[in-house]
Amino acid sequence: MRVVDLCLASEGTEVILATSSDEKYPPENMIDGNSTTFWTTTGMFPQEFIICFHKHVKIERLFLQCYFAVPALRQGAPPGQGTPHRRPKGGQEVRGIRIEKSNAKEPVDFERWVERDLVLTEGQMQMEEFMFRDGYATHLRFIIKSAFDHFVSVHKVNIEGISVSSLT
Amino acid sequence: MVKLAAKCIMAGDATVGKSSLAQMFRSDGAHFQKNYTLTTGVDLLVKQLTVPDTNDSVELFIFDSAGKELFSEMLDKLWEHPNLLCLVFDVTNEQSFTNCAKWLEKVRVQLQGSTLPGVLVGNKTDLAGRRVVETSRAQEWAGTHGLEYFETSVKEMENFEAPFRCLAKLFHQLYRERLELFHSLV
Repeated sequence: MRVVDLCLASEGTEVILATSSDEKYPPENMIDGNSTTFWTTTGMFPQEFIICFHKHVKIERLFLQCYFAVPALRQGAPPGQGTPHRRPKGGQEVRGIRIEKSNAKEPVDFERWVERDLVLTEGQMQMEEFMFRDGYATHLRFIIKSAFDHFVSVHKVNIEGISVSSLT
Repeated sequence: MVKLAAKCIMAGDATVGKSSLAQMFRSDGAHFQKNYTLTTGVDLLVKQLTVPDTNDSVELFIFDSAGKELFSEMLDKLWEHPNLLCLVFDVTNEQSFTNCAKWLEKVRVQLQGSTLPGVLVGNKTDLAGRRVVETSRAQEWAGTHGLEYFETSVKEMENFEAPFRCLAKLFHQLYRERLELFHSLV
């Protein structure tokens, strides 16, 4: 079976929920195959979006092209050197992203799949990569728990895998 | 057209008028609390404002929190990830003004480096005879800490909307700046 990009509107994939929407930067921008277009969050965290494949798929690799960093922190950092990731004092790490998946026909019964802290990058797009073995899903739910700044952008969700079967 | 959502925290000593200001704003001037009630945890007030000259709006989630030291531990949790700050003092109470530095420090701990647009509000200007904090001094302090300064008399219903309008505008500006940044990444 052929490994394809499963996360494209042209393949029938849809973003069926997003907690933020600016008309000019709709969630569909994440699945249009173009990383110059993006979805923005528009306020308080957490923020989330749900992707529906409309079929059973097996995911092998997932890339998230996004920007979670904050310009203010970069000031004073030596040029060309990333600002270290700071943990809040005495607190639990709450900045990061969690991905949940569901194998149901409807967007229900999500189970926690993978969770990752965010690392600050300097004024450039971040590319987060996730590898999976047990990647069967019909829906994916992305939860941005919090970021280093008030707003974040997600430019592209790229999901490599295979189509397994239709929903029926 | 976009609707932004901002968590706005009210900070400042007890009895300076944080709740009065927030409630007056929330009710468009219909509600002035005549009797003092001590805020013990946090009250959440929600109000939407349109940003002038745009089709955009900002929904303010105002976390009106307790000013009494006694409840200060709780604030650490309630104040997580603020988007905006409304710092209030009483112009007839020197201590409430000097304590603003302490409140600001407490808020900044939550931020870990990100920016927090904010305003400083000197309330109770109707008590002109008892005034001890002069406008110029408050203005200067606000300026050095990157805050915009406003004076209000919630009792006389004077200027109570201006600080919130300013906060909405600042948050909208920040969003526009970030959009430019996101565009520049590609």
